[in-house]
Amino acid sequence: MFNFFIDILGTTGKKFLNFVVNIGHFFIFFGSAIFWIFRPPWYFKKIFQQMIDIGYFSLPVVGLTTFFSGMVLALQTYNGFTEFNSETTVARIVLTSITRELGPVLTGLMVAGRVGAKMAAEIATMKVTEQIDALGTLGTRPMQYLIAPKIIASLVCIPFLVFIGNTIGILGGYIIAIYKLNFNPNLYLYATMEYLQLIDIIQGTVKAAVFGLIISMVSCYFGYNASKGAEGVGFATTSSVVISSVMILTSTYIITALFFG
Amino acid sequence: MEKRNNKKIIIKVSDLSKSFNNNIVLKNINFQLLEGESLAIIGASGSGKSVLLKNIIGLLQPDQGSIQINETEMVNLPRNLKEKILLDLGITFQHGALFDSLKNWENIIFKTANKEKMKNKQGKQLAFSIINQLGLQTEILDLYPSEISGGMQKRVAIARAICGNPKILLFDEPTSGLDPVTGSLIDNLIKKAVRTVGGSAITITHDMASVCRIADKVILIDNQTISWSGTPREMFNSANSKIQEFIKPINSKIFFK
Repeated sequence: MFNFFIDILGTTGKKFLNFVVNIGHFFIFFGSAIFWIFRPPWYFKKIFQQMIDIGYFSLPVVGLTTFFSGMVLALQTYNGFTEFNSETTVARIVLTSITRELGPVLTGLMVAGRVGAKMAAEIATMKVTEQIDALGTLGTRPMQYLIAPKIIASLVCIPFLVFIGNTIGILGGYIIAIYKLNFNPNLYLYATMEYLQLIDIIQGTVKAAVFGLIISMVSCYFGYNASKGAEGVGFATTSSVVISSVMILTSTYIITALFFG
Repeated sequence: MEKRNNKKIIIKVSDLSKSFNNNIVLKNINFQLLEGESLAIIGASGSGKSVLLKNIIGLLQPDQGSIQINETEMVNLPRNLKEKILLDLGITFQHGALFDSLKNWENIIFKTANKEKMKNKQGKQLAFSIINQLGLQTEILDLYPSEISGGMQKRVAIARAICGNPKILLFDEPTSGLDPVTGSLIDNLIKKAVRTVGGSAITITHDMASVCRIADKVILIDNQTISWSGTPREMFNSANSKIQEFIKPINSKIFFK
């Protein structure tokens, strides 16, 4: 019985130590990646390719998600507030929810699923097939050539995606409000513009930039440290999506608390 | 300048040991690669040949020992200096390690293009001139590595290694998975790179016919150490049981008349 508890303690301790070591490795990787972002040469072609992949090709999924979220939000809010005769607050609630929370978070989660998984799988495959080793022997630093362009592109593109997602989300709410709930379009637009605040846009942009950093860093970290062939690639991909999503949801609370807490 | 038999020592490995989690892979490895010499490293699968190569090029850090390339100590050398030395090396990996996202011609000129900043047209011309020597069709230049066969990928990897005429060539199983005709073509190319360009080469191989064709010197890694070394001709007269196992399927008369 005593040995059983010792075994459990041993296993738990080992897992905890591994966790601490991984956190340490992640921050070393983070520091190294940030360092190489600011060092020449910059691979502009790679950055541009990543911007197209992250920004342009994520537009449909981000647009669809935020559009329907805006529609649902308008409908649900209206249903909830009709009892209090507060239909006019629909515009305000759609605007605030989308710009402060739903737009950035949904965009972050969609990009984590689409782009983060791709980044992790791509880098992990390169790792297990010795392509990253080969890069190093061909006079190119993998951190500069592979990782830095992904981080730069994420930092630039995700705020733009969030901006577009917010606009489409608000449009979704507008369409439901006007065509289904029969609101006055001018009144709805006026209410939307009246409640649009700079702090909400700033907060959404900060969240988007933080999510961009989280998605690219976490995905690149898991990809870069992949091992054990195809199984390792699968593990890196799954871990990157799960950890990115959890970190997005955690950080959104922290940022909200910092701005409005 | 350190010399042996009046020839410059290009790579000198001294007392190198490497282990992974208490599993000793290499123990007290000592050998030298001379200028203009072609060295073949043979040994059973898992004997540590690729680990030795990865130690030489700095992808792995030895537990102890020294590795010198052109008299520069590579162990613990700052990364930027190590990168400068690696630029003068041509290396192929066991599975090719071609970049999936680049076309074959971009793979071939990758290092040279980084060094010399060449235009696409120039780069393609350079890649074209190299693959001609390797018996590859020019159509493959515009394809991606995943669109060509494994044997072709191997040759593109060799083309990448020899692009820019590096003086030191390191090949990890360059002819494995190739048909005998292509294998022979690759061997001739390695020979040419060493003899004509005046380079030096280390080739890891299981292909004894290839060893006979390209090597001036052979070392056998067995049981973590170098258990035998000599010329290919001496190999066929060796009483070493492991060497005997390796050369059993080979008829030496074909190679040494």
